[in-house]
Amino acid sequence: MDATSNNTSNTPYAIDVQNLAVGYGSNVLMKDLNFTVNNGEIFVILGGSGCGKSSLLKNLFGLYQPLSGDVLIEGQNITAAQGVARQKIMTSFGVMYQQGALFGSMNLLENVTLFMQEYTELTQNQMDLLARCKLDLVGLLPYETYMPSEISGGMQKRAAIARAMALDPKILFLDEPSAGLDPITSADLDSTILDLSKNLGITFVIVSHELASIYAIADKVIMLDKGAKGIIAEGDPKVLRDSSTDPRVHQFFNRIMSKDVA
Amino acid sequence: MSNLVPISSVEPPVAVWSQADATNAKISLTGKINVYSLGGVWTQICDAQDAWLKQGANQSLVFDASKVSSLDGAGIAFLISIEGAQQKAGGKFEIVGLDARYQPLLKEFDPITNLFPVPAIKPKTSFIVSMGMAAQNLMDDAGGLITFTGHLAADLVWSIRNIKQVRWGDFVNAAVEAGINALPIVGLVAFLIGVILSFQAAIGMKQFGAESFVGPLAALGIVREMGPLITAILLAGRSSAAFAAEIGTMTVNSEVDALVSGGLSPIRFLVVPRVLAGILVMPILTLYADIVSIIASMFTMLAYGIPFINFYNGMLSAVDLEDVGSGLLKATLFGVVVSAVGCLRGMQTGTGAAAVGISATRAVVSSIVMIVLVDGVFAFISYKTGF
Repeated sequence: MDATSNNTSNTPYAIDVQNLAVGYGSNVLMKDLNFTVNNGEIFVILGGSGCGKSSLLKNLFGLYQPLSGDVLIEGQNITAAQGVARQKIMTSFGVMYQQGALFGSMNLLENVTLFMQEYTELTQNQMDLLARCKLDLVGLLPYETYMPSEISGGMQKRAAIARAMALDPKILFLDEPSAGLDPITSADLDSTILDLSKNLGITFVIVSHELASIYAIADKVIMLDKGAKGIIAEGDPKVLRDSSTDPRVHQFFNRIMSKDVA
Repeated sequence: MSNLVPISSVEPPVAVWSQADATNAKISLTGKINVYSLGGVWTQICDAQDAWLKQGANQSLVFDASKVSSLDGAGIAFLISIEGAQQKAGGKFEIVGLDARYQPLLKEFDPITNLFPVPAIKPKTSFIVSMGMAAQNLMDDAGGLITFTGHLAADLVWSIRNIKQVRWGDFVNAAVEAGINALPIVGLVAFLIGVILSFQAAIGMKQFGAESFVGPLAALGIVREMGPLITAILLAGRSSAAFAAEIGTMTVNSEVDALVSGGLSPIRFLVVPRVLAGILVMPILTLYADIVSIIASMFTMLAYGIPFINFYNGMLSAVDLEDVGSGLLKATLFGVVVSAVGCLRGMQTGTGAAAVGISATRAVVSSIVMIVLVDGVFAFISYKTGF
């Protein structure tokens, strides 16, 4: 049994991006993006602040409509899908937003069970147990009755990951999961991500700046650049660090200050 | 439930319960075990297990997972729930044939007892305790109001002495929003109130043939009471709520904290411009409401055969400038109260999106209560002094 057997579709790619252009109105952030994410892969999107990483992510999971091009999630075109078909694609992945975006009027357990209540036929007790498992995975089991406003920002992020996993999606989109976490929690989170990827074959698409975390988990990275309006590097992060000839990539992976670059 | 979800009964059930005797039973899993396919089946298996567990002691349950093609987090939770029930009853539990790659995930949750918390019993509060707490809250609220009034008074004095440092840009924005943008609604409500007031009065007066006194009555009522009151209540609904929501959102986003840590007084920065705007717009809006209302009243009385000139002369005999002045002074006080209460509720906002909504509601309710209070005090003073 291979690691990707959880994925029911026959497509080789979890996500297939074709000629995507990302932007707002006449402001084009990126264009001619072409890349694929394999099933079960941990895929990291890199780039400096303001280059459009989060915007790209929101285009990938269909929150924003791309300027042009297509995004295929497990072979299904989310850009063109409408109504029920679109909703079905939407339930096949989970999303963690940068600020957590937990529902403020619900405690952590209720936040995690919300989507289960809408999409499954489980009883409340079963959903509660399932939600506790998710909270346990991110180390928040003792906080199930806390409101989002009563826990720290890092804990909110972890709770948001638990909520994203509520329906056991095949793909998880995480927007800067380890930013603002302490090194130990961040390492724990990395190991949880690796476990989920290895054991359940979940595909991860992660926006991140944390180099240590990227080296630890990423199978493949793409690096975006504001000036180039597109991908400037693609591949294994360690290989890029050691052998990329592109000065921008070299600077990023080796944390060289702007003023030191001639 | 949703129509998106494949109903588990369409496909063969993913879990089947079979029991050899009172002490041995088996659950066989087949196919894809996930959050959708477990719907319904989970409950059936748990019910069967419960019934079986009641039959004896030292029971052993075997979980046969050899035919599982995929298992996700929900499947793991299902295993855990069965294991938990088994542990609770003191029986044995064994999983056979589970693919090795699911083992680490199952181990993540050891010991599973943590996943079955004892439901916390909420301590009951007696009637006396809750009454005491309510009184305490009321006292705290009153204390907050008094402190805020003091700070506001001090900062208003400061703003008179440092007139150039007042945030006049914010003041203009607030005045435009609370004043000019309120003209249509104030005009509409004032017009309708003028019509209704004189119409109702005319019905009663007509019985005595005293329609000609409706003009003086309505006009006096409008300038002294209805004009200021209606305008203040509209301002409470529009601007007090807006101030509370605006400052409340700033509180939630730590913007107020940023002002304090930067050494600035949030009252001076946020409240003073808004209160000054309230002081400016309330008398103007009230005067406007008075005029619209009286014109509406004049037209209504025309329908009862009272010409404009008669209405006008009757009005002049009953209403003098002092009455108008008294109404406008009261309106100014309402303006201070309404805008200050809105700002106060905004600053008292808790955390989260719901807190902003609560603050806006509280701002409107408190504003209206304060309007009535001020009106009562003003009526008493006006009776004593004749102003």
